[in-house]
Parts: sequence; C-alpha cells; structure tokens
Amino acid sequence: MTRGAPRVHSYGDGEAMLGFGPASGPQLLILQPLFEEMNRSRALIAALCRGLADRGIGCWLPDLPGTGESPRALDTLTWSDWREAVPMVVAATGVPVLGSVALRGGALLDGVVVGRHWRLAPTSGRSLLSDLRRSALASGSDPATPAGYTLSPGLAGPLAAADAAPDARTVRLVSDDRPANLRVEGIPVWRRPEPQADAALAELLADDIAAWAKA
Amino acid sequence: MTGATATIEDQLRAILRDVLGVDAARAEAIDDDTPLFGAMPELDSMAVAGLLTEIEDRLHILIDDDEVDGEMLESFGSLSAFVRAKRGA
Repeated sequence: MTRGAPRVHSYGDGEAMLGFGPASGPQLLILQPLFEEMNRSRALIAALCRGLADRGIGCWLPDLPGTGESPRALDTLTWSDWREAVPMVVAATGVPVLGSVALRGGALLDGVVVGRHWRLAPTSGRSLLSDLRRSALASGSDPATPAGYTLSPGLAGPLAAADAAPDARTVRLVSDDRPANLRVEGIPVWRRPEPQADAALAELLADDIAAWAKA
Repeated sequence: MTGATATIEDQLRAILRDVLGVDAARAEAIDDDTPLFGAMPELDSMAVAGLLTEIEDRLHILIDDDEVDGEMLESFGSLSAFVRAKRGA
C-alpha cells in the first residue's frame, strides 16, 4: 500500500514540505490556498494528497514562507519571496515534476511552475484582499492587520494585481457558474469558518487529477 | 446551472448555500421576504465578508464598504435589488 504517513522534507532555507505517494509515476506540486483559506482547506488537501498517492501519483506539499510550519514571519515577506520559493520547492523534490495542482489563491503562483496546471476554484488577489479587509472590519480589528494576517506592502501590492494566468484545467463547484472545464458537487470548505472535511469531494478531485496527469 | 440561464436570485441562493452552509431545501425556500442579517443565525458579521466577496466574484460587481449596511442585508429581496441596481439591470 502506498497509503501511509507523509514524508517530511524541506526546501529553501529550512522551509517545510511534505511528500506523499510513490517516487515513480507522475509528480505534482500542490499549491495551497492563501491565508485563512489554507487552514480551512487542510483536511481536504490531506485527503486529496492521500487519494492521489493511492492512484500512483506523487505529491509535494510545501508550506510557503511565512505560512504553516514556516520559520519565517508573514509580515517580513514579499510577493517575490513567494514566487521565488516555488522553483526552490521544485528543485528540492529531486524529481521531474509534471506540473501543479493549485487550490484557490495558490493558482496565483502556479505560473512559476514549468509544466501543466490544474486548478480548483481559482480566485484573484483582489478578492483575497477584499476578504481580509472585510473580515478585519467585521471583527473590529485594524484593516492594516486583517484577521491577524499582517501583510507587507511588498506582498499586498503585487497580490492586489495578481490573477491566475490562462491555460489550466479548471474545476469549480456546481454552485459556481464561472467558466470551468468540470463542475463537481462539494462543500467549499475554504469558505467555512469551522474546519470541515468532504471526503467525497476529495475523491472526485483525485479522480480528475489522476486522469489529467496520466493523459 | 449556466451563466446564461441562472437568474440573479438563483446565483444568490447558490452563494448563500456555499458561504453559510445552508442546505439545498432551505436555500430553495428563500424568497424576497426571507430576512437575512439578524435573522439567519449563520450570517454573522464574519460570514458577511465572504458573502460580499463571492457576490462580487460571481455577479461581476464591486461593492464599496460604505454601501454595506443593515438595509442592504435586511432581506433576500433587498440584497437582490442591490445587486440588480449595481449591475445596471
């Protein structure tokens, strides 16, 4: 069985990365949603990586600098730091990478990955920043440090203008009628304040990614 | 559902389902008179943030912070009227 605990790797200067699945077969870089959506999507992403591993696909799941297990503070980072981190991740895998699987705001960084791109519900930098600002206003916190996420001008500025480049296979939920190659039933876990899992959605997505990766 | 046939109301119901976790049967029962903010327990001030952003993204409008008030979110009818006016329909 390939199912099991993920392997712990690192990239760059002590940044964290997990590896799932076989070293043979297609290898994909997983780009997580940004900010609070990353935490909300954790269970879905773990289930997706295990599902891909079960389908013979290797997955590499980095925490971007300043997120997750990163030793660096988010407020010290710029958009360039994130863009430059992605090739470091690819180099650290030590294997040829077929392309990327990006969720939500992760799609804003997948253009840096050489190869093919698959996306779930991509969003724009402007939308992510609007969400952060409104959440800060709603919680009575300072909009300059929205919901505990302090962004440097070097991150917030370029992020506001960032949009996902075309040329990707795009999957959305059936409730979202923006352009997509495939629509699937599921819970938008990235929108729910209480962490939620959706095992059926993870399986649907793993099936589509596996077929796409092996095509 | 496609962009060509879905009404603004259909799209708003879908967004409420997604953002608030309202089930399909409850979402279908929402009409113009359904009260929203202050009446729907899932719609707290944090959920409003997600609701507004999804409305912007899926209905292709921009909402200023000072346009958001109790009146706009009072009922499903007032929210859909706001969106319709924004779209210039």
